[in-house]
Amino acid sequence: MQSRRNFLKSSLALPMMASSGSMLSALAGFNAQAADTSSYKALVCVFLFGGMDCHDTILPYDQSSYNDYAQIRASLLASYAEQPGGSTRSRSALLALDPSSASFGSRQFGLPPQLSGLHQLFEQGNAAIVGNVGPLSEPTDSAGFGSNSAELPARLFSHNDQQSTWMSFAPEGSSLGWGGRFGDAAAQSNANAGAVFSQIALAGNSVFLNGDLVSPYRIGVDGVPSIRLIELAGDTLGPLLRDHFASAGSNRDNLFERDFINLSQVSLDANDTLDRALQEGSLVSTPFPDSELGAQLRTVAQTIAVRETLGVSRQVFFVALHGFDTHSAQAISLPALQQDLGDSMAAFFTATQELSIANRVTTFTAADFGRTLTVNGDGTDHGWGGHHFVVGGAVNGGDIYGDIPVSQLGHDQDAGNGRLIPQVSVEQFAAPLGSWFGLTQSELDAALPGLANFPAGPLNFI
Amino acid sequence: MTEAEATRFLSQATFGPNTAAVSELLSIGLEDWLIAAFEKPASLHLDTVLAGFPPDGRFFDENGNALPEVVFLASDSFWKTAIEADDQLRQRMAYALSQIVVTSSDSDIGRAPQMMAHYMDILTAGAFGNYRDLLQNVTYSPAMAVYLTYLRNQKADPVTGRVPDENYARELMQLFTVGLVELQPDGTPVTNPDGSQVELYDNADITGLAKVFTGLSFQGAGFAAPLPLLPLPAFYTPLTMFDEFHSTEPKSFLGTSIPANTGGDESIAMALDAIFAHPNVGPFVGRQLIQRFVTSAPTPQYVQRVSAAFDRGDYDLPSGTTVGSGQRGDLQAVIAAILFDDEARSAASIQDTEFGKLREPVLRFTHWARAFEINSADASNEIALRNTNSVQLLGQHPYRAPHVFNFYRPGYIAPGTETGAAGLTAPELQISNANSIVGYPNFISVYAFGLSPKEDPGQPAAYVADYAAQAELAADPEALLDNLDQLLTHGTLQAETRTRITEVLNGLDAATEEDLQRRARVASVMVMTSPEYIVLR
Repeated sequence: MQSRRNFLKSSLALPMMASSGSMLSALAGFNAQAADTSSYKALVCVFLFGGMDCHDTILPYDQSSYNDYAQIRASLLASYAEQPGGSTRSRSALLALDPSSASFGSRQFGLPPQLSGLHQLFEQGNAAIVGNVGPLSEPTDSAGFGSNSAELPARLFSHNDQQSTWMSFAPEGSSLGWGGRFGDAAAQSNANAGAVFSQIALAGNSVFLNGDLVSPYRIGVDGVPSIRLIELAGDTLGPLLRDHFASAGSNRDNLFERDFINLSQVSLDANDTLDRALQEGSLVSTPFPDSELGAQLRTVAQTIAVRETLGVSRQVFFVALHGFDTHSAQAISLPALQQDLGDSMAAFFTATQELSIANRVTTFTAADFGRTLTVNGDGTDHGWGGHHFVVGGAVNGGDIYGDIPVSQLGHDQDAGNGRLIPQVSVEQFAAPLGSWFGLTQSELDAALPGLANFPAGPLNFI
Repeated sequence: MTEAEATRFLSQATFGPNTAAVSELLSIGLEDWLIAAFEKPASLHLDTVLAGFPPDGRFFDENGNALPEVVFLASDSFWKTAIEADDQLRQRMAYALSQIVVTSSDSDIGRAPQMMAHYMDILTAGAFGNYRDLLQNVTYSPAMAVYLTYLRNQKADPVTGRVPDENYARELMQLFTVGLVELQPDGTPVTNPDGSQVELYDNADITGLAKVFTGLSFQGAGFAAPLPLLPLPAFYTPLTMFDEFHSTEPKSFLGTSIPANTGGDESIAMALDAIFAHPNVGPFVGRQLIQRFVTSAPTPQYVQRVSAAFDRGDYDLPSGTTVGSGQRGDLQAVIAAILFDDEARSAASIQDTEFGKLREPVLRFTHWARAFEINSADASNEIALRNTNSVQLLGQHPYRAPHVFNFYRPGYIAPGTETGAAGLTAPELQISNANSIVGYPNFISVYAFGLSPKEDPGQPAAYVADYAAQAELAADPEALLDNLDQLLTHGTLQAETRTRITEVLNGLDAATEEDLQRRARVASVMVMTSPEYIVLR
């Protein structure tokens, strides 16, 4: 085991970071019987950049609550009514949710018709809703928030900082994400011979997948790219060109050059390996929407299909959908995004069934924040807590976990204008996912340092 | 000054050095070059874009989408100007400002290139003016109002519960002026005794400031006039304030308060004055401008010197000549301080392991175009230049960032890297990944070999490079590399890179003119993908 761990570190060719002191001290107590990484498991984070409006995702369905909602959201509902085909937010258009055990008294909820894909997964028991999730430093409510007596996450309502906080529990500039920490735990248990493929990013350079031992590998939706000049150069010159592009054997002093060289080397090697694996593997046949999210999830499914060739048994994927910052024209922008979200997640679940691993892949949504319940005309502003979906065969679906606050202003979890003070922290949301992924309790505590501030028992959505 | 020093300066200060530009700089020297740069007339975009519109000025179809013949006009104008215009420093400054005060055609602005051209001209015309004036003009621009959603933003309505849109209030402070935390003049955050940073504002400040940006709409029509009925100039003239839709409440933010019933234009002026007066602006904007021109992780001392120039409004050049008006916020003083600083100019910096920056992919391409003296930078026929954001192309496109946070963050510290371990900010690493590592070489190869796809192959081709000087030397790899090192890497090309390139060239024929052209182009691609080119030192 010892030599294999060293092999992983040297093949990554990355130096241990000086700033990772606390993680290193956790490694000192490493127990060979740590994370369970037998057989295969994957987590897929679907990040909804801009902050999806939670109040326009889980809507009230019982008449009384709907009336409250309609009054507060009058101008937005008016713009929905102007859309071609009529309003998809009228009560009769909504898809009613029938949670199997969660009880909200007389209150009921529905999804917009664009989320029919997720609605169906919910009804089948393959999707759960976790209500009012968001960054917290400690449990609090409107009294604590309003009186400034509660400890709060920094820079609430700021996009980049809340994105970073969701992913890594700290504002922009942090370096380790909890997806990366989960990957680190798996790496310590030697889950992956092909360590470079343990964290796969389909979108952006986000901190979520960054760990101490593991780093994100970026892949695109159009197949593995290759440097054309190498291919065109033929058998003799091709390898020379490849050495050039990889700066093979180079040792420079300038740190920026060193980083560029390292990135080149790791990337070209990984690209070659993945390309070979995809050429040799069989194609996933499940159809996916031809959309921003559909293309990414199709690629994730295809990558999972060749997991054995890549030598991985634990993977974390990061995909993203953009455009949720609906300060205006929400009735025009949001439905199309939700259509993509619902259809693509449904297709992805079907693909996992095709690969016979539906209960080995768990997908979950996340976002900067939810939004205000009040509207600014035809849009909404930055919120805090939001409602999210968890999808997979292992999910205890068909139920609503956490809470869906009332569609009113001034309740106990109202931070003003109907911004929701979360009742489920990101740590509480992440912990069951990490546990399912194979982390022990002590590994979870290390990966989610704030978890201890939320003594309420674990949510059992998975 | 040596040829290498001149090339290095022009790599920092222009869209890419070429032989003529280097000669010119060598003959007049840095100071006269700078003063001349301030005086060159500005190359603007709006008239060019409007000239490309249909005679009736109608630029949209029945679905409200921009007509195909106009949609790329602003983008085309950028490439042509960046590569060919004489006012290179001004153009670079405008481009740098566009990455701080961000609007993007990846939005509704993409439907109205004249709106984008108007915005580009604000940054271009204002590049050597005062930052306060820039903020004023940006605030009243249709482009920014559309992008950050305060066009037709209305005062609160207690009956419906509608409140003013907060988008611009937040990003104006967070991204365009002061940032999030109190800064020292050297750009490092102020810390409390317990080590925490000092947050400048909370959500109440945002809500208060949001009231200021209410009541603005297009000039020349009613507040809520439907877009197809607007007079066409409305898209490229400053917005008008409609006080009946402007908030009459007191507007409190950043420790100041605008009294109730203050009119809209006056409120905006007072708000911008108050924000601009904050001591953060110099270091916050100054550090980012250093990152755009010279180095990704400037020393705090460098930042302090630049923010001092911002605050003084002028800068003393080595000879004793002073540039800048003496008014705080003078951008001439700032750019002079950035480019003439010892940290930017000294040979010692080249050897500093923590100095330098990955060149922006856009700037690598424009450098290629200028260094190899393309016949024309008219991009109207270039399919590949319409949107180079894809990782398979350049990974960025001018004025088309994915969101208001630009292509990369100024504070980005790359995880799992040596710059990261050293705590160095490296924004351009944020767009560097396993895809871009492949995309950029493929993109530059396509252009180097004259194979860029054309919309109309029948038209005479633009972006045709002139490799004659290099082909003449190509039978002698050593000589060819000397030429390319001078032109592209200002003498920093390493022996091991030269050896590799030489090996490849020796494997290519050198008999015919075609052979020599091939050698020259392969060599240019290899130099422009080497670490010493990618990292500008």
